[in-house]
Amino acid sequence: MEPLQPLQQFLPQVWFFILGLFLFLYVLLDGFDLGVGILSLTASSEERRTILMTSLGNVWDANETWLILMGGSLFGAFPLAYATILNALYLPAVIMVVGLILRAVSFEFRENAENKLVWNIMFGVGSFLAALGQGFALGTVFEGIKVDEAGHFAGGIWDWLTWRSLIVALTLIQGYVLIGSTYLILKTTGELQTNYYKTATIATWTTLIGAVFITVSTPVLSVQLRQQLLTPPLLYVFAAIPILGVSLIALLLRSLRRREEVSPLVYTFLLFCLSFVGLGFVIFPNIIPPSVTIYEAAASPSSLVFMLTFIGFLIPILLAYNIYNYAVFRGKIVAGESY
Amino acid sequence: MPDILSNTVALSRIQFALTAIFHMLWPVLTTGLAIYLIVIEGLWLKTKNITYYHHARFWSKIYVLNFGIGVASGLPMAFQFGLNWAPFSEAVGNFFGTVLGFEGTMAFMLEASFLGIMLFGWERVPPAVHWLSTILVAFGANLSTFWILSANSWLQTPAGGIFVNGKFVVQDYFQAIANPFMVNSFLHMFFATFETSLFVIGGISAWYILNQRHTEFFVRSLKIVLAIAIAVAPLQIFIGHLSAEQVYHYQPAKLAAMEAQWDTIPAGARADWSLLAVPNEQKEANDWEIKVPGALSYLLELQPKLDQPVKGLKEWTSANRPHMVGLIYYSFRTMVFIGLFLAGLVVVTVVQWWRGKIQPEALAQQKWLMRAWVFAGPLGYIAVEAGWIVRCVGRQPWIVYGEMRTVDAVSHLPAGEVLFSLLGLTLLYTVIFSAALYFGARIILKGPNLSLPVPRTAILAPLQHAPDTRPVEAK
Repeated sequence: MEPLQPLQQFLPQVWFFILGLFLFLYVLLDGFDLGVGILSLTASSEERRTILMTSLGNVWDANETWLILMGGSLFGAFPLAYATILNALYLPAVIMVVGLILRAVSFEFRENAENKLVWNIMFGVGSFLAALGQGFALGTVFEGIKVDEAGHFAGGIWDWLTWRSLIVALTLIQGYVLIGSTYLILKTTGELQTNYYKTATIATWTTLIGAVFITVSTPVLSVQLRQQLLTPPLLYVFAAIPILGVSLIALLLRSLRRREEVSPLVYTFLLFCLSFVGLGFVIFPNIIPPSVTIYEAAASPSSLVFMLTFIGFLIPILLAYNIYNYAVFRGKIVAGESY
Repeated sequence: MPDILSNTVALSRIQFALTAIFHMLWPVLTTGLAIYLIVIEGLWLKTKNITYYHHARFWSKIYVLNFGIGVASGLPMAFQFGLNWAPFSEAVGNFFGTVLGFEGTMAFMLEASFLGIMLFGWERVPPAVHWLSTILVAFGANLSTFWILSANSWLQTPAGGIFVNGKFVVQDYFQAIANPFMVNSFLHMFFATFETSLFVIGGISAWYILNQRHTEFFVRSLKIVLAIAIAVAPLQIFIGHLSAEQVYHYQPAKLAAMEAQWDTIPAGARADWSLLAVPNEQKEANDWEIKVPGALSYLLELQPKLDQPVKGLKEWTSANRPHMVGLIYYSFRTMVFIGLFLAGLVVVTVVQWWRGKIQPEALAQQKWLMRAWVFAGPLGYIAVEAGWIVRCVGRQPWIVYGEMRTVDAVSHLPAGEVLFSLLGLTLLYTVIFSAALYFGARIILKGPNLSLPVPRTAILAPLQHAPDTRPVEAK
């Protein structure tokens, strides 16, 4: 292969970072959204479920939209990756989409329904399915997708279903429950809040178990990743992440014990961020692990520049009005606020 | 039928058609209704008349029901290109993916973020900020119409680059975005969503007037609808006509299918417009038809005899022209007749208004007119779907007109896998569609809440220091 020109190297890297940012924001924001949805299955009364739903009312649309942004930008920046990954993940993607549809419509139907419980269950189940589909997708991409020389999907329809991807899926669900419960700690009061301190503590431990398992088993099971991770400079990253992770978990557990309201969510955000950085280091410079790099899958440099000109300058604006939206609705949930 | 069940191309096409047709039902209303909401909220800010606030709150309820389903049903659209049309995605991603990325970042996020404030923010932000949110929601929705129509128009009239080894290489992005069909197609769809929404509002209002519930409230809605629709409905016919002329120039095979025209009409001849026909694809002829003499020459060239020939379907081999001619032919006629009927209804009603007959008492005597409006309520949806069928079925056998065939664009998935997702989505959509109708009916049966107090923010805002001109009952 010819050596890459600096621009051919730089542009795909910028887009890898932007897509990572979109995905990260999606996982963080829709993460608590889906987490609250899954938790709503365990809420004991109509009143409590209403509070849970109200906590999401003004944000779920925007949160879900980060996924669409990610999909659209992946299509534009790395068309080959968009095509091959979705091809390989047909069934998990369908499960996720069906789940997201179920929860979105339940949200609107519940508002108008007499029998709200049916739609509550649909909402919870939808959230669970969406998280499950995403977990399997993440697990499969992490494990690697079988491709031919042209980078097209060359595996079977059940490739995504392995015990390793199942563990990633279950861990992601735990992570969503954790971030959902810390969000609810911030937004609720009284007995309900006390409940979510307990849930968050349990979810911290279950997420930790999954994360430890994935972290330890990755270099053990994959020869390629072992070589990649155990040579500098990745070795330092791979060593630093678990240490930082454990410290953050200790801080999170302490803040939960002390019944702090804001810091559990902040620590959980940081934990997600850390996992994401770790994931990014493991996958980079691939976009379809284990063999197709961002340079091979990238759209033409002119496309990347054109997209960057328009999308790049919009990113701060997107973030600004998303933050404004959260600022308008800051504070504890006021029951009975509806349209 | 078992052939179809094991045919990945056919199943993928059916799935795309199903998801697109279902998805289209919801944003059609929200993009148009958002503009209507700007108008009534603006009227509220201007007049301080609380009834406009109640209007905004009532129509918002219908809005949000549609919006949620629109977002949800849009997800399969966003992923389907990769899931079922991987070779297509790879071939045209340079341009098509870029545009979808733009739609997400520029339009969707704007709409989704300010929607929260528009729906729940009444008590949290001042009325002017709320109005601005409504404007941004409407702007976002219509901007996404623009990008989608730009992308789809590019499939019809690809421009701005060349295909090299089956892959599209962009040479000029702005030329690709502003491809020949783009302006007319966007305007046609913009007015389609607006007109459909106006007739939904008009139809629901007419239903209340017929049932003598909140008559005064809904006569007001109807009048706002009339004031806008008298401009929109005729304009839409004009833009539709321009779009058809573009099809004549750029996609003659589609025009031939729209007209079920099998044989070429030579230059210098009179061209008749087919009113009704039974197209027969085996015989490559119409079994039976009624024609309006000379009408097609007038429609295309405004003169009795053609300067340019109108090509018939037989000019192309079977593999190079659209099939399902009957579907295209009747979809086109359905759309056109609905457009004409809606414009006619608006004109008649505006005449009645001019004669002073659009008032609560006088309307009680004009049940026929209100029934016509109720009947017209859902027609916009049918016209929109029919139009998209003409546009996309008529483009076949191409996915990118003249450049890439639909059969070459499909992912090589096992047919069973596609059938599984198709059946799943069909079931899901059936449930959602029924539930949406049920809950929509509930909202309408419940009616507007006229006892809602003015939001706190409106009372505190300096705007309200102006003399209080609200009607007595609102004070």
